[in-house]
Amino acid sequence: MQVVVELFGIARARAGVAQTTAVGQCLGDVLADLAGRFPLLAESCIAGRTLRPGFTANLGGRRFVTAQETALTDGDTVLLLPLDGGG
Amino acid sequence: MASPIPGFHSCYLRIDLTTGAAQRVVLEEQFLRDHLGGSGLGVALLLKEGAAGVDPLSSAAAMAFVFSPLVGSPLTTSAKFAVVSKSPLTQRINDSLASSGFALAGKKTGHDAIVLTGKAPRPSILIIDDDQVRLESAADFLGLSTGETEHRLRERYGTEFQTATIGPAGERAVSYATISHDGRHAGRGGSGAVLGSKNIKALAVRGTHRPHWAEPSALVELARKFSEKSFGPATAKYRELGTASNLLTFNRLNVLPTRNFQQGSFAGAAAISPEELGVARERTRSSCAACTIGCEHLYGLKNGKGSVRLEYENLFALGPLCGIDDPEAVLEACRRCDDLGLDTISAGGTIAFAMECVERGLIDEPWLQFGDGAALLRALDLIATGEGIGRLMALGSRRMAHEIGHNSIDFAPQVKGLEIPGYDPRGLQTMALGFAVGSRGADHNRSGAYEVDFSEAVDRYHVGPESAHLAVETEDKAALMDSLILCKFLRGVFTDFFAESAEILRLVTGWDVTADELRQTARRIVTDKKRFNILAGWTPAEDTLPDRMLRQALPDDARAQLSPERLSALVRAYNLARGWSPEGWI
Repeated sequence: MQVVVELFGIARARAGVAQTTAVGQCLGDVLADLAGRFPLLAESCIAGRTLRPGFTANLGGRRFVTAQETALTDGDTVLLLPLDGGG
Repeated sequence: MASPIPGFHSCYLRIDLTTGAAQRVVLEEQFLRDHLGGSGLGVALLLKEGAAGVDPLSSAAAMAFVFSPLVGSPLTTSAKFAVVSKSPLTQRINDSLASSGFALAGKKTGHDAIVLTGKAPRPSILIIDDDQVRLESAADFLGLSTGETEHRLRERYGTEFQTATIGPAGERAVSYATISHDGRHAGRGGSGAVLGSKNIKALAVRGTHRPHWAEPSALVELARKFSEKSFGPATAKYRELGTASNLLTFNRLNVLPTRNFQQGSFAGAAAISPEELGVARERTRSSCAACTIGCEHLYGLKNGKGSVRLEYENLFALGPLCGIDDPEAVLEACRRCDDLGLDTISAGGTIAFAMECVERGLIDEPWLQFGDGAALLRALDLIATGEGIGRLMALGSRRMAHEIGHNSIDFAPQVKGLEIPGYDPRGLQTMALGFAVGSRGADHNRSGAYEVDFSEAVDRYHVGPESAHLAVETEDKAALMDSLILCKFLRGVFTDFFAESAEILRLVTGWDVTADELRQTARRIVTDKKRFNILAGWTPAEDTLPDRMLRQALPDDARAQLSPERLSALVRAYNLARGWSPEGWI
């Protein structure tokens, strides 16, 4: 299934895009897909099928998730964010 | 006097500005171990001075510039100082922190803190040269911006002196005036007004006393490891984009306060985001002394008018909160706040409140409209001069609402009188609790509870009392960081914060300090702040949020909704988690 991925902060800077699509049944699949297509993003934010420390994901702006087995449905929006909100 | 404890000078300098008399006061080892430095030591000193029951703008008020055991050490981000006083904005405790050379030079005067009482007979520069103290006329400096004051002080006294200054806002005792050093500010709560009310335009400090360290070789090695880690992914955001990169994230999550908290997202966010500004403008980086992160990002103004430091809080408060998407106006407003010595969050919050009052017909100032950059700049100037509506706005949104009436207090964006920073509490409900119970009011630097909301630990829209201990934990961590002192942007590099902090402190002081002891110390510091507030007149009714945030969901995110009952339950759970009475008495 296909999901929309929105990238913010360092994740956006590394990928060079604000938004893309990815495929997978779960968060781990999507992260692996992104890592394969965006090597610089993988270096900073993704280790295999999981997020590196300092990063998190969010489903649809509502629920924060990090577990790679988090199930996704077609048309979901996944946000990739820096974990730290301080400022 | 016995030999100082490693990392400390074991004394503070107490100056009576009325007479010019200076006294060196011994600090006992146990007192230092209980309160450390920075905020913790400052609050303890103010309690000792009986400052809670005194008008903060009276000559009897005490204020403290406090260093810390880590200042001067090789640890990254440790060149920081705290300014602690009763706040003229909140009438509660205020501890504002700033960075860089002033901390290093101030500690080298041979003191762990400088406590000011009394009032100089005339506007003065306070010179502290090791243990020599004198007042010189500030007549040539009155009305100057913070930057110009620092520039001229360097010309007069030389670069060995480090200075902390107020701008025109502090001279006029604007309730949220700052104290500035090297372009950075002890920003929140009006410490600049307190200094101005003492007739002190600036402090200039210089010294030759270096404290020693208990285990210098091991400390250098530990500092090296921390510096290495500070170059890693935990700080990449700060280093590469700066805090302003929060803007688009918060906008997407509907927690970006917009038009005086009437919305949680801003249509013009992209135009003022650092991603956009970085394309269209020159961007440079800077850092405080003794810092390896380098979080400061400066953006160029048009027409060769120099550059401006931009932080998320400046950007949110002077942009979306006032409905402004003109980047040049926002940057110019940031610079004007820096020059005048105004806290950007309180300035933006108060102006946004005034804009809504105009919108509702409560104030007859038709020029003051959301979205008008020129009006924003005009409002800032009026605040500093006290002319026209500026007299009211200089009081902050709470006192302004009390003067305006018509239940405008319901939408004044403040807690305990301190304007709310850039996190809409309806969509970040652990942070809502952190804001409500904060000792100096709504504060993202004393409670990092937003970190809990940005995690899987809670549902940020439905936070329950079982999460109160998470808010306690972030507050305790902040209290310790503000007392050691270390920059909060370093927090991501710690694996076990309390244990690693204990190791740092052990190498600096030689104390056999443990993680558990530091947890207790942090709790003591938070409780000391509460004790100060109780002595200053605190009541449980203060631990709340503006009525709007308890009765209206965010129009652009219906899930973002709190209620008085839910917040009360959170506050009660927080108080119990702290071991206080359910109402919050200690």
